[in-house]
Amino acid sequence: MAEEKKRIQAYLEQLKNKVETQENYGGEITNEEARMDIRDCPECGAGRAYHKGLTACAYCGFVFMDTKLTDGVNIRKENNS
Amino acid sequence: MFNLFNKKNENLALIEEMRTRQERWFVFLEKLEARMEEMNTAAVPELQKVFRQDTDPYKRAHIHMLSGLLGQINQMRNKANEVKEENIVCFMQEAEASLPSIISSAGSEYRRKLYTFRMACLDRHNVFEDKINHAISLLQGAAGEQDLESAYQEELAAFERIRDKFSCKQCGGNITIPRMFFIDTYITCPFCQSQNTFSPSTGARMVLHQARSLAEQRTAHLLRSYEASNPKNPDLYRHYLRCMFDEWNKIVPDMVVENEKFYERLINEYNINHHP
Repeated sequence: MAEEKKRIQAYLEQLKNKVETQENYGGEITNEEARMDIRDCPECGAGRAYHKGLTACAYCGFVFMDTKLTDGVNIRKENNS
Repeated sequence: MFNLFNKKNENLALIEEMRTRQERWFVFLEKLEARMEEMNTAAVPELQKVFRQDTDPYKRAHIHMLSGLLGQINQMRNKANEVKEENIVCFMQEAEASLPSIISSAGSEYRRKLYTFRMACLDRHNVFEDKINHAISLLQGAAGEQDLESAYQEELAAFERIRDKFSCKQCGGNITIPRMFFIDTYITCPFCQSQNTFSPSTGARMVLHQARSLAEQRTAHLLRSYEASNPKNPDLYRHYLRCMFDEWNKIVPDMVVENEKFYERLINEYNINHHP
């Protein structure tokens, strides 16, 4: 019985070491603070104006993204330029 | 194999074989149970420790450890099933085939003995299975529930603190975040109309992930009262489900449309499967 106990302890120890050293898929999760960012038009430096849509620059026509936007949680299909 | 019925229609070898097999089976299960219990008593505090120390928001170290332990228990279950199949069921069938006709007195007598033997062994196996299930639920419940409510309240407070702190990256004008967001969002600057991208903190993102569990924690008493009802009252379950989804929607209002679809599906499945 004592031997059994030892075996179990050894197994638990091994298991614990394993889970503590195991790397998670996708790496460690770092806690990030909330932040604000902006993507200017790299061609003319203008910001993206809401009523002109999000996919292209309203001033020089630079294309920010090729995707056609569909309805999502915060983005609507009206946001296409 | 056991066709040793002599003139007196007795087969002592078979009786002896049944007795020793039953004994061995009982001892085998007892040993497994002892090992399982030993492992559980040692593992539960370790599990709790790992759960507390795990800094990963998904508690993945705890999940890995739990699945390792559950794997051990399932090994024992498989082992017992194997032995049962080999040494009880197969033996039973072989022995039964070697018995004299059921209409002879020895035939019916020995069949009765054989069935008693089988029932004793299978009943013991059921006891073992009950213990396995108990051990599994013990391991699964060992760490207890995560305190999601206070984590959520903390996030709400954190959001209140930061919501006025941002300014437009284009013109520098103050931006107030209109409500709590859980995923990246465009925020329009009220002055220059530029689209700023707001990225919520990791903690705020986790709220979306934990919302259902939190709603379930808040309405756990309703589920318990449904489970305690006897016979199970379907209205209580429907009430629980509605309240759970109401809470869920309250936590993440952005997801109301999707959640309601999910609710419809669950309630339909419940109606089809249980209470037409």
